[in-house]
Amino acid sequence: MTSVWAALPVFMQNGLIAVGLLGPLLLVGALLLRGFRPWPLVRALLWRFRWANLMFVLLIAVSIGMGIGLIAQERGLRVGTAKAAEKFDLVVTAPGSELTMMLAAVYLQPAAVPLLDGFAYDRIARHDHVAIAAPIAFGDSHEGAPVVGTIADFVTHLAGDPVEGRLFQRSGEAVIGSAIDLKIGDRFTPAHGHGARAEEDAHDGFEIEVVGRMPPTGSPWDRAILIPVETVWEVHGLANGHRVEEGDRIGPPFTPELFPGTPAIIVRATEFWANYALRSEFTEAGETMAFFPGTVLNDLYRVMGDVRQAMSVMSTVNQILVATAVLLGLFILSRLFQRQLAMLRALGAPRRFILSVVWGYGVSLLLAGTALGLTFGFAAAALLSRLVTQRTDILVTASITWSEVTLALAFLSATSFLSLIPALVVLTRPIVENLQK
Amino acid sequence: MGLPLKILDLAVHAAGRSLLKVPTLDVPAGALIGVRGPSGAGKSTFLHALSGLTEVEGSIRWGKTDIARLSPERRSAFRAAHVGMIFQDHLLFDELSTEANASLAALFSPAAKRRDIARRAADRLDRLRVPPGRRSVASFSGGERQRVAISRALATDPAILLADEPTASLDRPAADRLIDDLVALVRQSGKTLIAVSHDPHLLERLDRVLTIEDGALRADSLAETT
Repeated sequence: MTSVWAALPVFMQNGLIAVGLLGPLLLVGALLLRGFRPWPLVRALLWRFRWANLMFVLLIAVSIGMGIGLIAQERGLRVGTAKAAEKFDLVVTAPGSELTMMLAAVYLQPAAVPLLDGFAYDRIARHDHVAIAAPIAFGDSHEGAPVVGTIADFVTHLAGDPVEGRLFQRSGEAVIGSAIDLKIGDRFTPAHGHGARAEEDAHDGFEIEVVGRMPPTGSPWDRAILIPVETVWEVHGLANGHRVEEGDRIGPPFTPELFPGTPAIIVRATEFWANYALRSEFTEAGETMAFFPGTVLNDLYRVMGDVRQAMSVMSTVNQILVATAVLLGLFILSRLFQRQLAMLRALGAPRRFILSVVWGYGVSLLLAGTALGLTFGFAAAALLSRLVTQRTDILVTASITWSEVTLALAFLSATSFLSLIPALVVLTRPIVENLQK
Repeated sequence: MGLPLKILDLAVHAAGRSLLKVPTLDVPAGALIGVRGPSGAGKSTFLHALSGLTEVEGSIRWGKTDIARLSPERRSAFRAAHVGMIFQDHLLFDELSTEANASLAALFSPAAKRRDIARRAADRLDRLRVPPGRRSVASFSGGERQRVAISRALATDPAILLADEPTASLDRPAADRLIDDLVALVRQSGKTLIAVSHDPHLLERLDRVLTIEDGALRADSLAETT
């Protein structure tokens, strides 16, 4: 049985799950509505109590929308962060918190981190299985965008596609991320530091010219300005990693004695398999620490997974509360039109017809609320994605998937089934008593 | 045609209290019967018993059917097939059109009968001079609303028409016009009408008037009015 299920295409599995979830609803509907036409009365009741009905629909919609929107957002964030770290196979830093180092080196979150010296860099860069060893030097900014020192090979690796313009070829040139509001040919002076504490005039006299623009990467690097690492050192009055006789040359190899230090080195191995060997080789007590950002993210996701479970539980509890509120609401509303229902019974309407009217009324509210909730969820996920992307530059594309639709269908099916209760309670009320109210 | 009514040892109780006792009553098919009496005397209880809306002791035989012996669901089916009910305050759905209100029974009737019910409802609305059109009944006068309610009661072509104070919410001219139309329509179709009313104008137009006091049938006279 399990193998038959596994052999089915995903769309068929999803379809069967949907049918299974909606089964009770469809069955109850078919049994109640067969041979009757309750919808004109359902429409009349919906219109009569339109404001109360609207509140119910909104209550259901907000509950469902929040639940599925947050879950979709959490998934989108995970996918976005993983995608943003794709180009960072192995990161080598000074020993410390892997998470802090990853946030600083991969997601460009400002942090004070210790530096690796030129000998450590040289050992890594000269390793047989290292294709790229890119120093990452940060600490400056321009109008809020981090100015990051690195090497041209890393820019090519990060960009993937060719850059617009060209790569930097000498100190004082820059390649900007796709979201930077500068044009090729523009010149700027970097500020020292980030944010409100940035010292705008600390590097007066140094001008950097934009010579290229990277295509979008969906990572915080879209809002970064990449300059030769030598330029970062020079504007801080440090050696630039090269002997005087090397002239204006930039990029590796660097002279270890003249290498002022770098907070992190992004390593790309010649072969994928070599990454594991490099990680253990570059992890030396007290010297360097190598880690896979993907592994750190996985650890983070594990923690987030607990949060997600908590969110799911909260979302379920929330929906149970809303379902209870809806049922109570149906009890109250059905009391408001019990005279009309008593009149129908006095005219000879069968009990099943009365059931179909009250149930149809409740299900209409639930259906509208669920459909609107899915729309709300989609909108909430899109809005949150945009906000997160704006704030972190991690491209988050949260979308409502089949699992969210399944959640909504489960809610609809369960509450539709439960809405039989107020419908049945209506039938227990004495006709004569209700007629005389 | 209407159905004859034969009541024997009818008693209605609620919470251990006797609400109504009618030892015997015979009403021929097609008769127009009024029921009067002070408020709380048991008139409405009598009407509810005749329609099978309350549990009773004794026998209420409409034609060959003793509704006192039927289950609630079968009494409901009996009402749908044979009884038309008119309420004091109309009980219309304001959100529905005149036609939809008048043909309400079509919503829960077998598909084969729906067309007939709709056609008959339209005919009764026309004969009771209800303004045509599909506008909502919310803006109708009390008289117009009661005419829609009567059309609704007659749309299933019931043999029995039970009316609870049909003119109580109307002014005199509207009540008189309604009485004219109602009596003419019922007499023409030969239905059995039992109307609870305080309205002497209505009672004097009926064949026979019953008086109920203190939960018991006290008097039974031919067109006797106060």
